Parts: sequence; structure tokens; C-alpha cells
Amino acid sequence: MQFRHEQLPNGLDIIAEVSEAAHSASLGFFVKTGARDEHDSISGASHFLEHMVFKGTDTLSAEDINLRFDFMGASANAFTSEEDTVYYAAVLPEKQHDALELLSAMMRPALRDDDFITEKQVILEEIKMYDDQPPFGADDRCRALFFQDHPLARSVLGSTSSIEALQVDAMRAYHQQRYASDNLVLAASGAVDFESLITSAHQLCGEWKPSPQSNRKVEFSNSNARTVTDVITREQAALEYAVRMSPGPAEDTDDRFAAKLLAVVLGDDSGSRLYWDLVDSGQAEHAVCNHHDFLDAGVFVTQLSCEPETTHALLDRIIEIYQEAANGLSNNEVDQARNKLLSRVVLAGERPRQRLFSLGLEWAHLGRYRSVTDDLATLDSVSRGDLQRILAEWHLTASSSTVLAGPLLKDSPTT
Amino acid sequence: MKQTLQTATLDNGIILLGEFLPSVESVSVSFHVAAGSICDSLSTRNTDRSCCGLATLAGELMLRGAGDRDSKQLIAALDNAGVQWSQSVSMSHGSFAGAMVSRQLPDSLKIYADILRRPLLDQHQFDPARQVVLQNLAGTEDDPTHRTMLALRKAHYPSPWGLPSEGTSADVTNLSHSDVKNFVDTFIQPQDMIVSVAGRLDWPEFMQQIETLFGDWQGRPTEAISAGERGKKICHVPYDSQQTHIALAWDVPPYRDPDSLQATAALAVLGGGSSSRLFTEVREKRGLCYSVSAGYQTQRDLAVAMAYSGTTADRAQETLDVMLHEIKALPGTITDDELDRVKARAKSGLVMQQESTAARAGAMARQWFHLGRIRTLAEDLERLDNLTVESIENWLAKNPLTEITTVSLGRDPLEVPDAVSP
Repeated sequence: MQFRHEQLPNGLDIIAEVSEAAHSASLGFFVKTGARDEHDSISGASHFLEHMVFKGTDTLSAEDINLRFDFMGASANAFTSEEDTVYYAAVLPEKQHDALELLSAMMRPALRDDDFITEKQVILEEIKMYDDQPPFGADDRCRALFFQDHPLARSVLGSTSSIEALQVDAMRAYHQQRYASDNLVLAASGAVDFESLITSAHQLCGEWKPSPQSNRKVEFSNSNARTVTDVITREQAALEYAVRMSPGPAEDTDDRFAAKLLAVVLGDDSGSRLYWDLVDSGQAEHAVCNHHDFLDAGVFVTQLSCEPETTHALLDRIIEIYQEAANGLSNNEVDQARNKLLSRVVLAGERPRQRLFSLGLEWAHLGRYRSVTDDLATLDSVSRGDLQRILAEWHLTASSSTVLAGPLLKDSPTT
Repeated sequence: MKQTLQTATLDNGIILLGEFLPSVESVSVSFHVAAGSICDSLSTRNTDRSCCGLATLAGELMLRGAGDRDSKQLIAALDNAGVQWSQSVSMSHGSFAGAMVSRQLPDSLKIYADILRRPLLDQHQFDPARQVVLQNLAGTEDDPTHRTMLALRKAHYPSPWGLPSEGTSADVTNLSHSDVKNFVDTFIQPQDMIVSVAGRLDWPEFMQQIETLFGDWQGRPTEAISAGERGKKICHVPYDSQQTHIALAWDVPPYRDPDSLQATAALAVLGGGSSSRLFTEVREKRGLCYSVSAGYQTQRDLAVAMAYSGTTADRAQETLDVMLHEIKALPGTITDDELDRVKARAKSGLVMQQESTAARAGAMARQWFHLGRIRTLAEDLERLDNLTVESIENWLAKNPLTEITTVSLGRDPLEVPDAVSP
């Protein structure tokens, strides 16, 4: 593995982790924009724009783009989150230039009126699709309650009304501002020819214009977090779905890895405290804890699904489980979780497609490179004491926002 | 690309498959026992009680302690060895798999030998295990896409292939601990078990260890499974949702039939990739849905083509009409360009499979199950190269589509034209 970095004069960062043993190359544009960069009148614009990027440029139709990706045998897609919009393609090494040529052309989309109208219907379908599926909007609602007026409170998809009201001109303005050359990272992993990548990038992206970006970080004070519960009633649902968020370390802190390890100890989908207590016993369909980190905030997310009538008792039980953990973790369980995570890092590191995301997001957020070896070393250095300290500092049981979705009614007793 | 493929068969019928992948440090191993959900039907016959979900419950209980380890110790042993383990039940197989750093392989094989040969099947673990299966079944009730595909499977496949692998709540509630013990005794057998391994691997050492761990395991023959009735060709599942889900199925040749390549290529033109006809016509041009696709699902002796879309209730009829139109319009219209794209996507997929030990181990096992051999990458690529528009069109012309099973799930039923046949 060899790491390479170069910056074009217009500020576009180009990074690659080159592995000669790989059979494929993965390429992606990581745009530093997402739901948190929107405001009310353009809620959902980042994600809608991600769809529009596939609808073509001044010289390419949507069909041309789909045809080209399929002709090069690319596995290509995109996703939008609270903080990032990522476009990527995994190809055989000889298609590296073709893939970059197409992806870079797409970063300057035509945003045509008629495409905008057609694609708006697809976005509205996507919103309905998620609304029909567990957790029936509980995740979005919980994020809104937890983050309140912080930008991370925003929904990635937006709402039916915000999407219906969105105008193409507003999207064009948003694109011009957010897709500036210095707000993008071009990342590559696998069997990458870096010299050729740089030459192609100069030629294909060299004319892009930079634009001053404002600071995206907004202080999130944990003391603002309050204990609050809301209920979304879906009479037809078989199970009740609960999402609970409580504060945790942000991504720029040294505690990021320890927080991830702690979440594995507490609530991995097997072999964790939540698993043995609630899932293995058949009391819950699903009970997990994850740690998510953002530029300026972090959050522990607990998710539970179970029979509706047991929901409140199991949510209480989860608080007890976290309190018991705060009273003492064993070396064995921390080591078991560490071994699991180490193995995940090694195996994910073998696949250029998976490496691309770690590589690109780390650079887009923190402007640094971490190798698989770095991650393994950091995980090895986390101690049981670190986990115990995080439990003491972040009080997973104190202030949290909880949203239930399922057959329970709003006025049912809350915990 | 030079490829190192290995195969061996033990005296008791266990089949070993291996591929050395020089570009990785990890190894994946998977065990596939002929104890899939279709075996539930044999238990049903022998107990006179419907046993749908027994294979799934057996898989769940087998992981709850084996050899001298109880449930927690077993999971801890796998986790501590850094084994990313999984257990699943398909129509034909019960499978246990693990991916790990290669030096952990010898220790983990011992654990898998315990799971397969010496599961505790602890009486005290039975109720929670059954409860887990019932919880999972309740969860699938809330997934409209999953429910639609289950309804399609029930309508299109003959019994017992059409029954849900995960079981039904009514049947699982009535299963007993002795049902599971009988199932494990009867169906967890060495005969035809496939052990597939891919990655950084010492093949002679692996073979030797498998011989030591499994060589003295004597099996018994099991009964054959016969195909029963199919369901209704058109079916609507009432469900209070914003979207209506549409799923279609029709018969195509199984993987081991040489014609399956023509059939799967035609299906890829129809609904594989974002330049496919369904994606272009249903989503890109009309904006009717978020997801639409077509795919192929094969058993050893029968296979089906499936197409799916989910869309708002008031646009569901148009979506179904466009899907049926595209299916019927396929014969006689496939272009060279379309086939080139299908080939490019398939080739990339084959080459990229070499980067994932788990994908490779799984793919080799599937190929052996269907063909009784593993094709080399070169052979697979050559078969693709030899595929022509003419050969696909000839196959389509000789095998006209006569009947499509149509399932919808949502508020209102859809109108299915009588003339579904072309």
C-alpha cells in the first residue's frame, strides 16, 4: 500500500491508496456537502441534487451516463448523508480514465428543468418507500429532537412538502456554491495508476473554479440535550421500533476509536451486552448500540425493536444495562470486542471499494490519511480504562431523545 | 490471471473446494449442509404436523453451544479468533460461514466441527431460540418488499420450494425441542456437505485437518423431496401502505442447464444495471418509482426470473403495464450494444469477486452444488465471450414466455391483462 496526495491549483485534493495486488480500482468524488449545509427552503436539496447529477451534463443525457457506466462494467453509485455527498465507481484498472472522465463530467451537471420535474417524482417515491419501512421515520424524528436547532437536526431526504416546493434555480445556486473545486476530494483506491490519475484530473477538472466556503462547524453543547420522548403511531405494524440518541465524542477527538469499541461492547449485533440480555433471550427482535461521529458532534444511537407491549420495560432495561456497564467492564469483553473490530478493519482493508470510503471521508473531514495499520495500532492502544472513562464522561443514560414508531399510541406511559 | 483451484471428496461424501488468492491475507470458509428449508416438508410428512421454520430454528439452536462450549463461550471463541461468522438457511442448504485472518483458520475449523457434529441442542436454550425465530418473523411482517417477495415465491414455486425459509409463526410456535433434535439427526449429514475455502490458504494442511475433524463422520441417506402444488398465478395482498409493490415471476432454465446463460443474459438486458430496459423505461423516462429491477433465482432443478418495483398506489397500474410491456417486447429486439454492456458488467463482477474471500468461497460452493464442478475464471470469461445476440434470440424464440405470475401488495389490487402470454 502506498499513499499519494496532490492538489490542483484550483484546490481540488487528489488522494490515492495504491495497492498493486488489487484486481480493481475504485474512484470517487467526495463533496463536502449534505443535509447540514441546507436551510428550510432547500431541505432535501443535497440528496435531490445527487440524483440530478446522474441526469446528465450539457453534452451527455441521463441515458448516456447509464450506458457509459454499464459499457465499462462499472459498479457505480452515490449516496448523501448529513455531511457528505459521494459519487463512486469500481472498475477494472484499464477503465480508470474512462471512469474518471465520466465522474468528473457529472460533477458539472446540466440541471435541466424537465429532468428536475421527472426526478422530483422519483424522490417523492423514495420518501414514501422509507415511510412505509421500519423504523417509519423514527430515525429522522429522533435526530430532529436530539439536535434541535443544530444543523445536524436536518433530514437528508427532506419532506414531501419541502421537495414539492423546491425550485430548480435554488438547486443550481446550491450546486454552484457547494461543488466548487476546493470543496471536493477525488479519492482512489486499489490498482490505481496515480500518475495517470493526476494527468487526467488536470485535464478534466483543472478549469473548475474554487469558491470560499464558510466554516461548517457549529458548536453542539451536550447540556442542550434534554430527555424527550415522541411517538409515531403505525397501527398496522407488528413490532414497535425505538430509536434513542445520547451525546458522544465527535470525530476530531482522540476518543473516536474508544467510543466505537465501547459501542461494540455494549450493543454489537451479536456477543454484546444488549445482545445477550435482550436478543439472545428472545425478548427483542433487534437491540443494538452504535456510535456515529460528525464534524462537531457525536452521538450514541440505540435501536430496539420488540413486541409493542414490552417496549417501555425493555427501554428501562437498556438503561440498567448501560448503568451496569458504567459500574465495570471486564477485560475479556473488551478484548473480545477489540478482536472483532480488528478483524473487520483487516477484512474491509482488502477490498478497494470499502477502503475508498474510509479514505475519502477521513480526508474530506479531517484532511488526513490513516492506513489500515494506523487504525489497527490505535485500536490496540485503547484500554478498558478508556472505555470506562467514556462511560463516565458521556452518561449514556442521562439526557437522551427517544422516538417510538409502531402500534403504541402517543399517550401511552413513557419511561 | 493464474488460478489455483482445488477439489477433493472424502470417503463419507464431504466435498472440499479451495482457491488460493494471492492478493489477500484473509481466508473465508463456508460449510453448506443439505439441510435447507425444503427439508421442513419431510419433517411435516413424518410428524403429520406442518413444520415450516424447523430448519431455521435448528440453525439457531446449533449455534447455542457445541462441543465443550456453552452458547456464550462459543460466540466468544469465534469473536476472539476474529472470525466474522454467519449462519443462514436457504431453500437447499443450512450454511455456516466465517471470514478471518488466515492464521486463525485451524482453530476456527475445530469450532465449526463442534457446531456441525457436536451441537449441544440444550433444552434450556430451546425456548429463547424459538422466541428469536418468532421475533424475526414478526420483523419481516413490517417489511413490505419482503412480504411481496414471499407472496411471489408462494404463488410461483411448487411446494415445498414456495414455503418461506424463515418459517411461519403458526408452525414455529408449535415446534418442539425433539423436532429440532430429530431434524439435526436426520439432515445434518456429511453426505454432499460442501466445505468451500478461499484466500491465503495452505491446501494440503487444510485437507488434512478436515480429514481429521470430519473424516470419521458416518452419515445416513436421507429421503428425496418431491414437488407439490403451485399457488395462484395472480394474487393481491391487501396492505395499508403508501406504495404498492409489484412482483412478477416466470420460469427459466436452472443454472446447470447450458441455456441458463442465454436466459440470464436476456434478463440482464431487461433489468440488470442502470441502462437496462426496466430502469430506463420505468424510472428514468417516467419517474414512476425509486426501485425497479429483474433478477434470477436458481435451485438445482428449477429456476425463476423475477422482476420487482415499488411505486405510489395511483401510479402502480402504469408501472405494471410498462413492466409487462418491456418483458413482452424483449424477444427480437436485443442489440449488440446491450449485450456488450451485459458482458462488461459480468466480467467486472467475476474479476472483482477475486478480491473478496467470502464472495469467492460462496460462489465456488454454489457452482459445485449446481454443476458438480468449479469453472475457472478463464472458462467463465470465455463462455461470456462466446455469447451472441443470435444465441440469445434463438433461445427466446424457442422458449416463448407463456405465463407470468403477478403479485401485488398495497391498498388496491391491480388489473392484470388476460393476455400475459405474448
